[in-house]
Amino acid sequence: MINFTPKKETIISAGIDIGTSTTKLIISRFSLMNTAGTTHVPRIEIVEKEVIYKSPIYRTPLKDSSTIHVSEIEKIIHKEYTNAGITSNQIQTGAVIITGETATKQNAKEMLHYLSDEVGDFLVATAGPDLEGIIAAKGSGAYEYSARSQKIIANIDIGGGTANIAIYKDSELLGTCTMHIGGRLIEFEGDRIRSISAPVQRLLESQGISLNIGDSKTSPGIQLVVQLMVESLSRVLKNEVNEIDQLLILGHTPNWKEEVDTIVFSGGIAECIYNHEQDKQAIAGYDDIGQQLAKELQRNERLQSFGWHEPIETVRATVLGAGTQTTEISGATIQVSPNDLPIKNVPVYNFNFQSDLQTGLEKFDEEIRKAINMYDASREGQNFALYISNLPYMGFRDIQKLSESIIQVMEKRPNPLLPIVLVLQTDHAKVIGQTLLAMGVRQSVICIDQVKVDHGDYMDIGKALDSGVVPVVVKTLTFHSS
Amino acid sequence: MNEQLIKDITKMVVEKLQMNNDQDQQNISLYPKDPSGALTETSIASSPVGEVKFYPSNVTTRKRENVNLQTQSEKASKEDDKEKYFTELRSKTPARIAVGRAGTRPKTKTWLQFRYDHAAAVDAVYGEVPKEILDRLNFFQVNTRVLDKEEYIRRPDLGRRLSDDSKQVVLDKCKRTPKVQVVASNGLSAKALEENLEDVYLSLEQSLKNLNIEMGTTFYVDKGRVALMDEIGELLQPDIVVILIGERPGLVSAESLSAYICYKPRIGTIEADRMVVSNIHKGGIPSVEAGAYLGTLIQKILKYEASGVSLVRKEG
Repeated sequence: MINFTPKKETIISAGIDIGTSTTKLIISRFSLMNTAGTTHVPRIEIVEKEVIYKSPIYRTPLKDSSTIHVSEIEKIIHKEYTNAGITSNQIQTGAVIITGETATKQNAKEMLHYLSDEVGDFLVATAGPDLEGIIAAKGSGAYEYSARSQKIIANIDIGGGTANIAIYKDSELLGTCTMHIGGRLIEFEGDRIRSISAPVQRLLESQGISLNIGDSKTSPGIQLVVQLMVESLSRVLKNEVNEIDQLLILGHTPNWKEEVDTIVFSGGIAECIYNHEQDKQAIAGYDDIGQQLAKELQRNERLQSFGWHEPIETVRATVLGAGTQTTEISGATIQVSPNDLPIKNVPVYNFNFQSDLQTGLEKFDEEIRKAINMYDASREGQNFALYISNLPYMGFRDIQKLSESIIQVMEKRPNPLLPIVLVLQTDHAKVIGQTLLAMGVRQSVICIDQVKVDHGDYMDIGKALDSGVVPVVVKTLTFHSS
Repeated sequence: MNEQLIKDITKMVVEKLQMNNDQDQQNISLYPKDPSGALTETSIASSPVGEVKFYPSNVTTRKRENVNLQTQSEKASKEDDKEKYFTELRSKTPARIAVGRAGTRPKTKTWLQFRYDHAAAVDAVYGEVPKEILDRLNFFQVNTRVLDKEEYIRRPDLGRRLSDDSKQVVLDKCKRTPKVQVVASNGLSAKALEENLEDVYLSLEQSLKNLNIEMGTTFYVDKGRVALMDEIGELLQPDIVVILIGERPGLVSAESLSAYICYKPRIGTIEADRMVVSNIHKGGIPSVEAGAYLGTLIQKILKYEASGVSLVRKEG
């Protein structure tokens, strides 16, 4: 008998999270399948995600308080690859994310880009507190829960250095906020305080609390600080920020307008609440205020006024999100030049045709100039991806007109020889790609469709898979609510 | 009766019909935001003659109930939520859902839209492909053994064979043993060809040119069936026959086109060796993209020297 069940293709994805206190890694396997009927044009989707390996939780190796020990981290990753039974060239997608306070270390940026090249063919480097919150919400299950429950869900990922809040309603991001709340903000050594981080120092000063390095672990000041942090968090969630909270907020203030119904905690502190990893190994003994923070979260009355939902992952939420929730699959009918992939970190410029081809084409030139000014102001030849949205229904002659204009405007880039990267909202990538080739375009063409991106996003496009699609990771920082 | 008057009236009616004809474009919007039946209602203008005012015969002053304003506004917001939910559902399917009702029957608007769509489907079957399109694409026309539409519908077998004259024309005009022979036929929807043929064909032509795949001489067959490709395969001995044919119209779209493809079709080819890319229309796969995809598909068929189930088997 011949088996006519649809063919599945599998790809391996890695997620690596380098946080303030801990570093961890997961490997997962995605199954891709054509989900369209046999008489239709194929539609390739990720139909299954299976986590095949979870690493233990490592302490993040630091050289000193401001430098990350890169070679140690690389060693951990390679060791875990061996344990998982894979090699780095098998990894076809995924993300390495640097979170919390680690992201502020001196060599964070170089390390991230070095690692993303070194430990996988197409590993995407990500950082930034907003993104962290988003990825954690996806890993903790809060994102998925928001779609099921029709409630407004806040995922609060608290680790060693920061609390990353992401608000979701019906799987749509409403806003984010990051705060200096975390276990490692005050560290102990023996019975004494070993270090107090700068944001906490500021908080102490403003409140007139006296707490110094060398003070006893049991000083009442510590409990006060923890209380202040949790109260501040509850105010931020209710969007009632005061002056004290400003001291703890990192970056922008809460940017959602809706009222939060339910809260989900993830991250290391959530582990102290839910003890998911209990039977595996004790991760206590971090010697910081983590446990106290967790207790205070459970005690706070204002937080109790929200509904609480248990996360599916606590300390591994971010790594799970990075490993399983960042990859998208492009439309099945696309045109990509295989030699120019993968491409990494290209900014997206959205050009909205507003359903009128002619007017759009007239504005095309000016829009591209704007795009260049925005992303390549110093004319160094930084490429960008052009996202073409809201095209009207187009016949073949319209496609030709559009393609001709694309060739013309792309020639005006400071380095016109860079590949032309196009993302189309509608299912037109293959025909536009082919038309460009037929017109003898001198650049190589990467033309994909059916990926949700927006102005100001950064995207990475991986190598074409056997199914003809490409994996895409979009690093979105935009909000879809008004 | 006054003959002049009859003439005038007839002329007026004909003119009116022609005018309407120009705006006959069916405005298709799949996945609508509004309930199906987007016909605009015209309100009846009140005429001064026969204007009637009604007065209630027994006026009873109702006791003022203690109406809670808040519950009213709550109700309104609930209605809004419901409408929002319906809009979301409607945007997910072209089916006629959440259209409301009048008693046990559909609303007049919904019913009229249904009748309109049904009429469009019938028109699609009985319509003809405009000659300008075929001329523009430089297709010559041949016929099957079918004499008229009624026979076409009753006798599918006759739609699968070319008439004797047509065979000769095909042999005279077409390139022999091309890699790919493309044929167009109105099939069950002339409207499908009118809307999509040009875009699919031009895009397919470009795609094959890019891939360096040789094309034969394309022509149009009036009232053809899919299996007509077998006879064309015998006559011209191409590696692949692609037939672009109008699909049986439905109530969602009357202008859907299919591309049937077969590797070396000959008389006696079994159906399992044919394959199809269907749903080529505004609400399905855009016709230009379909053409581009067909090119890649043809390349794959040539590589494996098989189509349909045999292709799946060879691909492994």
